[in-house]
Formats: sequence, structure tokens, C-alpha cells
Amino acid sequence: MKFSQSPILSQAVPAWRSRLVLLVLLAAFMILVGRSLYLQGFRNDFLKGKGEARYERVLEVSATRGRIADRHGDVLAISTPVKSIWAIPEDARLQPAQIRELAQLLEMNVAELSRKLASDKDFVFIKRQIPPDLAERVAALKLPGIHQQLEYRRYYPAGDLTAHILGFTGVEDAGQEGVELAFNDRLAGKPGSRRVIRDRRGNVVEDVESIREPQDGQDITLALDDKIQYLAYSMLKQAIERHRAKAGGVVVLDAKTGEVLALVNLPTYNPNNRERLIGAQLRNRALTDTFEPGSTMKPFTIALGLEQGKYRYDTPIQTAPGRLTVGNATIHDAHVHGVLTVAQVIQKSSNVGSAKIALSMPAESMWDTFDNLGFGTPLRLGFPGEVGGRLRPWKKWQPIEQATMAYGHGISVTLIQLARAYMVFARDGDLIPLSLTKVDAPPVGGKSVFSAQTAREVRAMLELVVLPGGTAPKAQVAGYRVAGKTGTAHKIEGGGYANKYVASFVGFAPVSDPRLVIAVMVDEPSAGIYYGGDVAAPAFSQVMAGALRTLGVPQDAPLQPISATATPDVKEEM
Amino acid sequence: MPASPRLGGAIPSAHAPAELDPLLLWPALGLLFFGLVMVYSASIATAEGSRFTGFSSSYFLIRHGFFLAIGLVAGVMAFQIPVRFWQQVAPWLFVAGVVLIAVVLVPHIGRAVNGAQRWIPLGPVNLQPSELMKLFAVLYAADYTTRKLADMDSFRRGFVPMAVVMLLVGGLLLREPDFGAFVVIISIAMGILFLGGINARLFGILFVVLLLAFIFLIWTSPYRRERIFGFMDPWQDAFGKGYQLSHALIAFGRGEWFGVGLGASVEKLFYLPEAHTDFLLAVIAEELGLAGVVGVVGLFALVVQRCFAIGRQSIALDRVYGGLVAQGIGLWLGVQSFINMGVNMGLLPTKGLTLPLMSFGGSGLLANCIALAILLRIDYENRSVMRGQRV
Repeated sequence: MKFSQSPILSQAVPAWRSRLVLLVLLAAFMILVGRSLYLQGFRNDFLKGKGEARYERVLEVSATRGRIADRHGDVLAISTPVKSIWAIPEDARLQPAQIRELAQLLEMNVAELSRKLASDKDFVFIKRQIPPDLAERVAALKLPGIHQQLEYRRYYPAGDLTAHILGFTGVEDAGQEGVELAFNDRLAGKPGSRRVIRDRRGNVVEDVESIREPQDGQDITLALDDKIQYLAYSMLKQAIERHRAKAGGVVVLDAKTGEVLALVNLPTYNPNNRERLIGAQLRNRALTDTFEPGSTMKPFTIALGLEQGKYRYDTPIQTAPGRLTVGNATIHDAHVHGVLTVAQVIQKSSNVGSAKIALSMPAESMWDTFDNLGFGTPLRLGFPGEVGGRLRPWKKWQPIEQATMAYGHGISVTLIQLARAYMVFARDGDLIPLSLTKVDAPPVGGKSVFSAQTAREVRAMLELVVLPGGTAPKAQVAGYRVAGKTGTAHKIEGGGYANKYVASFVGFAPVSDPRLVIAVMVDEPSAGIYYGGDVAAPAFSQVMAGALRTLGVPQDAPLQPISATATPDVKEEM
Repeated sequence: MPASPRLGGAIPSAHAPAELDPLLLWPALGLLFFGLVMVYSASIATAEGSRFTGFSSSYFLIRHGFFLAIGLVAGVMAFQIPVRFWQQVAPWLFVAGVVLIAVVLVPHIGRAVNGAQRWIPLGPVNLQPSELMKLFAVLYAADYTTRKLADMDSFRRGFVPMAVVMLLVGGLLLREPDFGAFVVIISIAMGILFLGGINARLFGILFVVLLLAFIFLIWTSPYRRERIFGFMDPWQDAFGKGYQLSHALIAFGRGEWFGVGLGASVEKLFYLPEAHTDFLLAVIAEELGLAGVVGVVGLFALVVQRCFAIGRQSIALDRVYGGLVAQGIGLWLGVQSFINMGVNMGLLPTKGLTLPLMSFGGSGLLANCIALAILLRIDYENRSVMRGQRV
């Protein structure tokens, strides 16, 4: 076949088809450009908004919580940086040897760690809040899929010693108990926030803007003296162990300033490890538990009598035959004392004498006095669960109630209320508010409850209590004149008085210029001895002695103890 | 007409330096190297954060660079091969390609990723036969059409044999499944038949019938309608079916006119799946903005335009096979890049097609480089013919 006859010539491939196809393709490309222009030039705000919704987050920038220190600046609570170890299980395909190594470092069970790493979640915590040096060793293993994050953990160097007064913070770093709660607003500071872009795994990849700078919390300096606190803690612990008691509390107040120098409850807990915490340990008994104070109330009754001018310290009162019938109830003294002076009513702790004095006065004035002393009203220190105790309105009082209240039954108080009320005797009749934080200048112009004259007279009577012939010679402190009052109260259970006791002692020293008020309460001593003078007074004496020395309070008595062991102990009435 | 543009009409030596079409060469090389940069940028975070890559941020960069080097070497070698030779081996290459695609489907030999069985493991790398098949389809369809130019008016002799062969290949591809490669190969085959002069009426009728069938199929099934058009509103199920597309669109929106800057994409930080392969353009759009997208589209348009220009010139020189191959390659690159970019922008349903010359993937890169070399060879031979040389 000749070339000129080739079918190819007659079958010329048409060029217009090529042009058409190219045109179609180029038109398609133009559509792409148009679409891109629409997306990037006009729809961009909508799309960016969608994007921001997916990966922009407002992150909280945590403010460091303020420190809590005692009055000398010793740190009692501090936020320390810790690391939490977490993993992306999908990435963390570790060799068995690596798992063992990690488990050993973190002190974890190998099986538990393997289970966590086998999780089908995107994110699991391996172990939270580990020390930074341990975290560094974990990081040094360079395990894939294992990550760390910085957190803050509240650490309490004094541990269980200061547990109740400090309280603790929760996971969100907010105060849940004690000072941590009461002063949360000042301690917490204000977290800042910033807008960030995060990748899909949650890592911050870009800081868009800072919305608010974080403000660190303020430091708090407490009135607490850690040496006195330690002393109170160990002496109370000793007393509780010796007398096999259920619980106890000690409150130490500075009579000049109203500062709470120590506050101890037992049982307590370790705030740094609250894993096996039970309710009883958590209770801040000195503030939240009320008890019938018993004889520690008698000085207030006597003071009222003196204040109203009906009695003098030497007014004789007939307490024989050791019982007093009011209505259809009878008040007893365990020992028949016969005629006692008002001062001896305190010294011997006569129920009948106190009741007689109380019954000779109008109910309203007694209620007013108790109310002025702060009974029946919570102190409002900011602690959770603070209670006011029981003080019924005087109009509803039965005569027998008025009589029993004179010696601390039918009324209930908290230990801290009781300690504060005793400040009237230590401060010449006036009462000042308590302070958990350090006070720079003593408050002026407290609330006057009794006249200075009355307060001094009662003070003298209370000094008799610790002298031979009183109910609490064991409360004496070498070198100081001490005054105070024992209390031994039957506990109410199921509507009646059970064979369980609350032993207490509230007192102050030095009598010549009182500086400290200390209240000790021991709940249910069960080693046979239960009198306040035997159970609570020795602890009081030890704490008082140590605290006075710590504060450098000048002595006002010779160093020899005045106690004469030959004299038989005087037991108070119950 | 002088045989040589050189002054003095000197007879060019047989060893005259190869003349390469700069309008094709530079845009193509530009796309290849820009692709390398963007693959690195798009993959850096996923590579660093994944145990599959050994937490090495340059995992994909090293591999892509390696594939690119192999592709360029293969291209230089392919350039040495006369077009005539390609025509001779085209049927055999095509058969080899079909065999490979069949092998992929054999259990335990073919390797599946994300539910698609498309790869044959070869030691450290995986071969994706469907990528090579696109090239083989171009070479074969052009050969077929050249041989059957006389039968282009006949439905039975011109169209049916090609349709049967392509449906066989298409059937295999759909089994993998690789719907994207199916669409590209059918487009190449039909396009080359059309360019080769198949009866226009016949082609028109066929086109309308297929279109009606397609419409009928979607119209009768709400499920299929949902599958096909569900992509149009990714915000309806933005965290489910629309997840990938919605993130691609966000990337475009964030890019605006000039982008957030090279390397600064947020979408590539684990949000946008397949950022370094199918959704590379979205990362380009985010990092370099509309300018980057228009640049890429423009370069592809240049390359495709050159393919057709070279093809038409070749046919004008009576070198029909080379002309059809050149235009077939233009169709391939044009259709695949359009579909890929259209998917990225939410114009087309997600197909699983890479961006030619740019996306990560060794087989695709190799096939693209050889195709470009063949194109340059066709152009080179055209020029030689115009100078009166024998080829």
C-alpha cells in the first residue's frame, strides 16, 4: 500500500477534540481557583470560627496558693510542684522489661501498670503527683507514649500535728477544712487565663493571647506557735494514752491578744496522706463538738453572784446535807461539806453551793451573762461545722435547769468557747475576739462582762483550786502562780447520763498578770481515773509550763512546788 | 525550512545536547520539589508523634526524598528510550500491570491499609500497582487507538474491545477497592479513544446513557444519594463522616490570602488525617493561603497544557502514538489533580486519590516521573523530526 492511500491520512485525528479536552480541564482548574477563592477569601471567617471551636481553648493558668506559716514564720503549708505521669496507651507499646522498670520506679504493681497501658482510652493517668526528681528519672527512661504534666500539691511539713487547724485542700486546690477553708479567698489567689491553640493530643502549640495574668495567693501568718502546738499535741497524746481515752482537745489562747496559739484534737490524721481517713480523725472537736462542761462553769455562776453584789468571797453558804431538791429533782454533792464560803464552793467544787447561788438570781441575768460570754453562739472563726452549743432561752428555763446550769449541766459548749470565756478572769472582766492569725497590736476595748473587781476575786478563788485543798493541785506549774477549774461531767447518752465522763481543766497563768489561757478536755478516760484534776490537770500543767517558758513569761512564784502530797486529794462534785 | 535553527545550516551532530521543553520541565520539577517541602511540613508532627515512624520527624521526608531520587533516575533512564519502544511493549506492560493488580488481591500477598488492599510489600517499601497501572493504561490505550484508527467509527470493533479490557481492569480496581484509580484509568481510556477520533455520535450517546444510568442509580437509592452528596455539607456530621473534610475546609479558611506561614499549620497537628498524602493541598492552603493554591493549580495547568500542546504537535507530525500518549498523560495528571484538589475543597466526594507529583507515595512518584520523561522524550523526538532527523 502506498503511503498516499494509507487510512491514517483519511482518518486524521481531529485537533478540535484535543483542544476541547484541554479546555474542559483548564475550566475545571478555574473552578478550583474559584472555589479556593470562595473558601479562603470569603468563607474564611466561618471556617476559622469552626477551627477555633475545635482547637482553641481558654486555659486556666493556676495561681500558686499562698503559704501558711506559724507566728515565727515556720512554714506549715506550702504548694510544691509535682509531676503527674500519664500515657497515650496506643503509643505506649512497651517491652515487658520496660514495663517492669517503670513499675519499679513508680512503686506500682506490674499487672496494674500493664492494665493501664492496655486501656483503649486516649489518655490515662499512670501515677499522679510524684516528686520532681522521680519524674526526672521516669523521663530519663525515654519511653514512648509516656508523658508528664506539672501540678501543685499541698504539703504540710508538720503533718498530723497541725492537721485540724490547717485543714486541707481538695483536688481543685480549694480549701476544704480548717484555715485552708477559712482563709481560702486570701490563700487561693486568682487564676489567670490565656487562649491557646492545642493540637489534637492536647499539647499547647501556640499561645494566642493572655486574657488575664494569674495573681498568686497571699501568704498567711497564723497566730499559732509551732512549739506550743507540738507541746500541746504530745502532752494530750500522753494523757489520752495513759487514761485510755477516746478523744481529747487542747486550746491555748494568748489572753493579751486573743490569738489562738495552739489547737489540738486527737485523734488526728496525716494531711499529706488522706487515703484511709475516717470521720473521727477528721473532727475538729475543739470547735465542732459540744460537751456538757460540768464544774468549769461554776466560776461564771459565782462571778455573777459577786457582780450582782449578793455575795462576797466569804459569804457563807450552807451545803449540808449535801443535797438540794428543786421541784422533783435532787442535786447531790458526793461529799458533805457543811457551811462553805463562796470561795470554798469553787475550791471544793460544790454543786449544791453553786446551785443555791444560781437560784438566788434572776434567770434573765444568768442567761445574759452566759450569752455575753459567748455560749450558745458559734465563734465564727470561719471553720466548717463550728457550733454554738446549747443555751436555751431563759424564758423557758425550769428552776432545776437554772440550778444545774450553775455547775455546767443542761448547757453545752465547745472547748474553744470555754477557753475564750475564761479570758474574762484572765483579763479583768473583759472579753476580746479570738484570732487565728497573728495579731500585731493587742485589741483595745473588749466587751466587758464582769467588773475588774469581780474578775480578780474569782481569779483568787480559782488559784485556790490548784493549791493543796483544791481539786487540782496537779495543775500547778513550778515558778508560776496558776489558776483554773476542773470539770468532770457525766456524758449524756440516749437521753440520760451514762457512766462515761468528760474530764477537763481550764486555767490561766501567771495569776499576777495572766498571759495564757489553756483548756484541756479528755473524752471518756477509761483507765479507772476520770476526774478532771487527775486526767486533764497534769496535761494542762505540762503545756502551761512549756508554753510560759517558750514565751519567756516572767515568773511570779518560787520554783518549789506548793503541792503537799500528804494532803488528801479533794475530788470535785459531779 | 532549515533542518536546524543553528546559524550556517550546519548539520547537527547525532550527539547534539537533548533539548528539553522548559515550559514542561520547570513547572514539573517545581511541583516535584515543592511537593517534597510540603510533604515534610505536613508530616513532621505525625511522624514525630507516632511509634510507626519511630518518633522520627524526618521519617516521611527521608522516604519521599529517596523516592524522588529514584524517580528522577528512572526518568533520566526512561528518557533514553525511544517512543517506538514504548509502543512495542505497551501491551505487555499492560498485561503485567493487570497481573500485579490481581496479585494485590491475593490474600497474604497484598497488604491492606485502612481497609483497602492496594499494596504489595517489597522488603522495606510497598509497591502500589494501581499507580503504575495508570501509566500502563496510557501507553496501552494510545497503542490500541493507534492500531485501530481505521475502526474508530465502529462500535463493535473500535469501542467494545477497549471497553471490555478496561472493565476488567476496573473490576479488579474496585475489588481492592481503589475507586480513585478506577475513575482515573477509565477517564484515560475514554479520553484517548475520544482524542483518537472515535465516532462522536457514538461517544455522545454512550456518554448520555452512562449519565442517565448514574442518575437513575442515585435517584432510586437514598442511601447512595447520601453517600454521593453527603460530602456537600460536612458540618452536618462534622465529627463523624464529615470529620476529614471539615478539617480540610478549616485549613483553607485559616489560610486566607497568604497563609499562616510555612510550617505553621495547626490542622496537620493530628487533626487532619492523611495530611501528607491525599490532603496535602489543604496543608498548602493553610500554610501558604490562596496564593499557594493558585500557584499549584497554575503549575498543573501549565503542565497539562504542555502535554496537549506536545500531543497535538506530535500528531501533526504524524506521530499519532506519541501524540496520544502525551495527551493521555495530560488527561491523567489533569483528571487526578483536579479530583484530588476538588476533594480537598469539598467539591467532590472523598476518593482516596493523591495529588500527582506532590503527595507522599513512592509508586505514584515513580510513575509520574517516568510519565514526565516519556513526555519530554516525545517532545524531543518531535523536535528531532522537525529537524529532519531520524528517530
